[in-house]
Amino acid sequence: MRTQETTGMFLYHPGNGHLDKLNFTELFAYSESHEDVAVVWDSKTFPLWDIEYLKSQIQKYKLSRIIIAGYDTGMVKPIFARVFSNLQLNVENILLEDFKEHGILESGNTELGKALLSCAIYNVALEDILPDEEKKVCTETLIIGAGIAGIQAALEIANANHKVHLIERTGTIGGHMAMFDKTFPTLDCAACILTPKMVEIGQHPSINLLTYSEVQSVTGTPGNFKVKVLQKARRVSLSKCIGCGSCAEKCPGKARSEFDVGTTFRKAIYIPFPQAVPNKYLIDAEACRYVQGKKCGVCVKNCPVPGCIDLDEKDSEIELCVGNIIIATGFKTFEATKLANYGYGSFPNVLTSLEFERLTNAAGPTEGKITFRTQNKKGDWIFSPQSDSPERVGIIHCVGSRDINHNQYCSRVCCMYSLKLAHLVKEKIPDAEVYEYYIDMRSFGKGYEAFYERIKSEGVHLLRGKPAEVRMDENNLIIRSEDIDGRRLLEQKVDMVILSVGLEPAAGSAEIAKLCGVTTDSDGWMDEANYVTSPVNTFAEGVLIAGLCQGPKDIPDTVAQASAAASEVLQHIVRTSMRKNIPELPLAEIRTRAKNLSLKMEDRK
Amino acid sequence: MSQRINPELKKELLKFGAKDWNDCYHCGNCTATCQLTEREILFPRKAIRQAQMGLTESLASNADPWLCYYCGDCSDTCPRDANPGEIMMTLRRYLTSVYDWTGFSGMLYKSAKAHIVVMLVLFLSVVAAFLIFGGPMITELTSDGGVRLNTFAPAEIIAGIDHIVLLTLSFFLLTNMINMYYKVVLKDKTVHIPWYLYFTEIGEALLNFGTQLRFSKCNKSRMYWFGHWFLMIGYVTMFVLIIFFLSWFQTDNINVWYHPQRLIGYIITAGFLFGTIFFMIGRIRKKKQIFKHSHHSDWIFVVLLFLVAFSGILIHIFRINGLPFATYYTYVAHLAFEIPMVVTFVAFSKWSHLAYRPLAIYFSNMKKKTRELQLKSKLSVSY
Repeated sequence: MRTQETTGMFLYHPGNGHLDKLNFTELFAYSESHEDVAVVWDSKTFPLWDIEYLKSQIQKYKLSRIIIAGYDTGMVKPIFARVFSNLQLNVENILLEDFKEHGILESGNTELGKALLSCAIYNVALEDILPDEEKKVCTETLIIGAGIAGIQAALEIANANHKVHLIERTGTIGGHMAMFDKTFPTLDCAACILTPKMVEIGQHPSINLLTYSEVQSVTGTPGNFKVKVLQKARRVSLSKCIGCGSCAEKCPGKARSEFDVGTTFRKAIYIPFPQAVPNKYLIDAEACRYVQGKKCGVCVKNCPVPGCIDLDEKDSEIELCVGNIIIATGFKTFEATKLANYGYGSFPNVLTSLEFERLTNAAGPTEGKITFRTQNKKGDWIFSPQSDSPERVGIIHCVGSRDINHNQYCSRVCCMYSLKLAHLVKEKIPDAEVYEYYIDMRSFGKGYEAFYERIKSEGVHLLRGKPAEVRMDENNLIIRSEDIDGRRLLEQKVDMVILSVGLEPAAGSAEIAKLCGVTTDSDGWMDEANYVTSPVNTFAEGVLIAGLCQGPKDIPDTVAQASAAASEVLQHIVRTSMRKNIPELPLAEIRTRAKNLSLKMEDRK
Repeated sequence: MSQRINPELKKELLKFGAKDWNDCYHCGNCTATCQLTEREILFPRKAIRQAQMGLTESLASNADPWLCYYCGDCSDTCPRDANPGEIMMTLRRYLTSVYDWTGFSGMLYKSAKAHIVVMLVLFLSVVAAFLIFGGPMITELTSDGGVRLNTFAPAEIIAGIDHIVLLTLSFFLLTNMINMYYKVVLKDKTVHIPWYLYFTEIGEALLNFGTQLRFSKCNKSRMYWFGHWFLMIGYVTMFVLIIFFLSWFQTDNINVWYHPQRLIGYIITAGFLFGTIFFMIGRIRKKKQIFKHSHHSDWIFVVLLFLVAFSGILIHIFRINGLPFATYYTYVAHLAFEIPMVVTFVAFSKWSHLAYRPLAIYFSNMKKKTRELQLKSKLSVSY
C-alpha cells in the first residue's frame, strides 16, 4: 500500500452459509475503525447491481484501492474491475481476501479474520509478519513404515543429504508393493522397479534403517521430537550374517510365510524373500523351537560365522531425536472371511487378490504357475506347482468396499488391479475364461481407460452386477449374480474365484496416529490438513502423512504424495525453524507489524 | 416401447411408505440374493429401476412385487441400505391403489387419518345399527345354560348383511382383479399368451394360494412362513364359515368340546391369535428386516385382526358361561371391529394381496411359458 492511496473495503458474504461461523458485525466494526480504511461496505446492504451508484461512491471517497474480503470474492471482482477501468483507476488495486485461508472458515476464528483484514489493508501476507521461533529444527527425520511411500520419502530426503531414520515393523522393507506381480496400467514388474530403490535404501549413507522395530512413544515439540523405538530381537546379527542360508536348511521350525500371505511355509529362521533389504536372516520367535523352550540350536551349529546367531538376544530400546515425522504405515487388505456368502476360508479355491498376486508371481510359491490350492501330504492347504490349472476364473470386485455393512468407501485400486489380474490369467492360461463381476468400472487415471479397453479386447467377460453368493457343487464353484447388462440371472460355474478385497488402514496405524497426535476419520484413515490443498500436512505440526495411511490410492499417487511429504520436510529443515502459531500474536501487534512491513516494502521501491 | 416419464412418482411413492430408495446404485445384489428370482423374473432391482425412473406404465404392468414375500435377505445384504424389500412392499401398496379404479385404496394408504376416520365412521354405524335394529336382550338362558344370542342378533339376518357386504366387496375386488389382468397381461404387447396356458398354469397358482410354498422357499426361518400361512388359512376358513354357514356356526346350543363346530372355531382362533401376536411382537421389536418399517396400514390391520379374534373368544366364553349382557356387548364390538376391517382391507388395502398374489404368480407363469414358446419358435426358424 502506498501512503497516498485511499482504501475501501467491501465485505462480501454470498449468503450460502460458508461464513456463518464468523462474526461479521465485528469484522465490519473493526474495518470501519481502522485508520487506513476510508469506507467499508457490507454486501448485504450495498446495492452492488447499481453500477452508477458504485461509481459515484468510489468518486465520493476518492478510492484508489479496494479490498474485497469474504468468500468466493472472485465472483464480484469483475463488477469492481469494470468500474475501476471506467474511472481510469488501476485494476490491479482490487485485492481479494478470502477467509478460506488459514482455516478461518472451519474454525470460525473472527480474531484471525481481523488479522487477515489488517494484513490485506497493508497488502502484506500474514505469514510474512510472523516472527520465527527461536528453537531450531532438528534436521533428522523419522519415517514410520518402509513401503513404497516410506522408501520414496526417505530417498528424497536422504538425497538432499539429510539424515533419515526409516522404521519398519517387519524384517524387510518393501511393503505390499514387493508382493505384487505387476503394476497397472503399464504392467511393469513390481519387483523390478521397486528393488533398485530398496537396494539404494540399504546402501545409502544418510539412511539409518531400523527393520523389525516399532515406535514406542513420541514426546517433545515440533522440530524436536524424542522418539523411543523398540528394536525387536532378530537373534541374527545384522553385521555378521552373510545370508548364506545354511541355518535355514536344517531348521526344524515351520510357519506360514507372511510374504506369501500364508500360501506357503517358511522356516523359523528365515529371510522374508530373496530380494529382502536387509538381506539378512532373522528368527521368528513363535516358531523357533529353542525360543519356545524346546531343545534345539541347529542353526547355531550350522552357521559358518561364529557369534552370528544369538538365540538369547533380547529386545532393545533406542531413543532418536528427530525434527519431522512422516507416517507411511500403509494398509491391510479387507478380511474376506467376514463375507461368509463368498465362501472364503471354506472353499479352498476362493482366493483373495493378494494371494493370487503371490500365486502368479514368478518368485511365488508356484514360480508363477496359476494352480489350484491343494492339500499336501500333511493336510495343509498350499499352492504347489504340481497341481492343475483352472480353466474358468471369476473375479469379484468391491469385496468389502462400497458396502454399508463393511466399508462404505471405494478402495480405488480394486477395479484396476482386478483388470490386471484378468490379464495375467489370460496371459498365463490363454484358453481360460475370465469373468469379472463389477458394480461400476472405475478406471480413473492416466492410461487406465485404455487399459480397460485393452482387457476387454482380450476377451475377458465383464459382467455388471454384484454377486450375492459363491457356492460349491461337486466340481465347480458357482457364482450367483444378476447379469445386469444381459438382463438375466446368472449362475456361472467357475474353477477359481478371486476376491478383489478392499483396503483398510494397517493394523496398529491407529496407535501410531495417536502417538503422533494425528487424528483419524471414521474409517481409520489419517486426517490431512486439507484434502485439496495440503494433502500431506496434518493438524499436528511437524508430522506428515504419505501413502495409504491417508486413504486408498494407487502406487503412482502414493509415490507422488511421498515426494510431497519429503519436500515439506525439506522446507522445514531449510528454514531451520517452525512457524509460530498464528493466533498467538495479539491483534494490535499484527497491525503494527503489517504497517511497518508495508512501509519497509514501500521504501525499497 | 415409448412411454411418458412421471417425475412426480417419487413423491407419490414416498406417501406409500418408501424410504431411502434413491440410495440404490443398481449393483444387482438384491436380485442375486433373492431365492425367488428366476431367469426371466428379475426382482427387486428391475422394479426399483422403474420406480426411480418414473415409469408408471411399466410399473403398472409389472406384477413382480407380488411375487415377493419380504423375507428381508435383500435388505440385510444391500450394500447401500436402500431397503429393496421395503421398496417392494411400498410398490405392493402402490400397485393396490393402481389396480383400484375407485381411488379409495390410494386414499386409505396415503393418509393414516383418512383410514382411521373411515373406520371410526363404520365402527359407529355398526354400533348405531345395533342400537336401532338389534333384537331384544334376553337374560333368560337356554336349557344348557347358554346365552340366547340368536334372539339378539339372528344368524339369518347377520348372514344376509354379510352377503350384501360380500357381494359389494366382491364386485370391487373382482373389477380390480380384472383391472390388474388388463394392466399386467393385456397391455403387455411383448407376449401373446396362447389360450391353453390359462388352464395349464392355474394349478400352481391355486397350490400357492393354499400353501404359500414359494414363501417357504425364501426364508430360512420357517416360523414366519408358518405364522403367515396359519393366519391366512384361519381367515379364509372363517370367511367361508361366516358367509355360507353362519347359522351353523353361530348357534345358541352349546356343543361338546370335540364337536367340529367348536374344534374348527378353536383352530381358526388359534391361527388368528398366533399370527397377529407374532406379527405385533415382531413389529414392536423391529429385529427382523421385515418388521423394521411399519406403515400405518400394517398396524391397523394387525391390531384390528387381533381385536376381532379376541372379541370372538370373549363372545364364546361369555355365551357358554351364561353372561347375557357381556355376550351382547362383545358381540356388537366384535362386529364393529370386523365390518371396518373387512370393508377397508379386503378390496382396497392389505388383505387384497390374497387375490393379487396368486394372480401375479398365475400371470407371470403364463408369461414365462409364452416367452419360452416364443424363443423356441424363433430358434426353430433359424435352424
